[in-house]
Amino acid sequence: MTVTPPDAAPRLDIADPSFSITSDLVHEARERSWYARTNYGIAILRYEEVSRLLKHPKLRQGSAAWPAHNGVTEGPFADWFASWVLNKEGEEHHRLRRLMNPAFSSKLIGGLVPRFQALATELIDGFAEPGRCEFVSEFAEPYAARVIAIMLGLPEHEWPIIARESATIGLAMGITLRQDLPKIEEALGSLYAYADALIADRRGAERDDFVSALVKANRDSDRLSDAELRDALVLLIFGGYDTTRNQLGLAMQTFMRHPDQWRLLAERPELGGKAVEEVMRVNPTVRWVTREALEDFTFAGLDIEAGTTVHLFSESAGTDPRAFGESAFDITAERKPHVGFGGGAHHCLGHFVARSDMSEALPLLARRMRDPHIDGRDEWLPDSGNTGPIRLPIAFTPAP
Amino acid sequence: MRITVDLAKCQDHGQCAIAAPAVFQMDEEGRLVYEGNPDESYRFEVEEAADVCPVQAILIED
Repeated sequence: MTVTPPDAAPRLDIADPSFSITSDLVHEARERSWYARTNYGIAILRYEEVSRLLKHPKLRQGSAAWPAHNGVTEGPFADWFASWVLNKEGEEHHRLRRLMNPAFSSKLIGGLVPRFQALATELIDGFAEPGRCEFVSEFAEPYAARVIAIMLGLPEHEWPIIARESATIGLAMGITLRQDLPKIEEALGSLYAYADALIADRRGAERDDFVSALVKANRDSDRLSDAELRDALVLLIFGGYDTTRNQLGLAMQTFMRHPDQWRLLAERPELGGKAVEEVMRVNPTVRWVTREALEDFTFAGLDIEAGTTVHLFSESAGTDPRAFGESAFDITAERKPHVGFGGGAHHCLGHFVARSDMSEALPLLARRMRDPHIDGRDEWLPDSGNTGPIRLPIAFTPAP
Repeated sequence: MRITVDLAKCQDHGQCAIAAPAVFQMDEEGRLVYEGNPDESYRFEVEEAADVCPVQAILIED
């Protein structure tokens, strides 16, 4: 194989506020080289290399240093961030992951499908105006937050708390973390209080649900401490909400650009699952995943030093013509697996839920909202990190 | 008990090796190696491993 000499690799300024990770610039760089150099670390641009490095044993998850990188080294947010299962490695990671996994098994989630369908229908029926909606506030937010409520056994009418506090904590993933810290820590305090009340409730009367299972693991052994229990619950509330809300908005964006595929989905709701995969291939909310080299190693002819940050670009990988041809968005195609849920030891914990709830929502939306198009001013998060719409006004032809 | 892993589906995420480390391991290259006929005493962990596999590639045959 040919190896690109280091000085010939493209450069990407990923700290530039106008940098777009899905831009032609990135796609052109991908056509020149499988990786690019950036302000800090290297960016991996092609499917094969992204897919292998996601799971590479010489790399660890790379976000643990994010608060420190932004000058936040102590306090409630720094402590909570350090507690994330995502930011743990080795046996400590594995113990937490083993404790959380059973609550997210595909078998358990299968039983929730009728509730996801009923929820989607209720929200569409509740649109304020016929033929119009603001998709984020009228569908994506309540849907994502109420799915979390269903999963955790919370009262569904309390969804605005989940939505509001999670959205505020989401500011921590942006480069204004330090300025936003007081707001973020207030929201975190509010979710801690919420988690504590929930734990107290289940300790009083155990149920056959996810929170009770964690409470039991905490009570019956030293496998899960009190602090780990509340940290984990707050992480699950936050981690499940933001991503699903954003990914639903991105799905609408993609389908509005491909009206034939939207009509097909309305006619063939059984394609819901494949629609989710195809959307996440070309328009994933998690635009990049970060890893860090544990030791010096050589990969595909490139020497990677210990401590190097490795950014894996998910959209660039998902649209790589080497893996997917020049083919268009097609919800009937058989594809290689996309990388939108990350991979390896840190593969998304909630992917069965996300896949299931979105694959129910999208066909229902397609059936009820014919010929959707943006009608008004849309607003978007920056096209890096975790992206999605803030506001997405849509006009459509209503259908039963 | 007897297990097979559909290697055409397997993506080497290694979640099985976290759930049932006595039966599934990831080698130096990050590739899956596993014991196809583990002792019956591992059934619980192996069932967890099969449940948790992101691509559902693990089949417990008996």
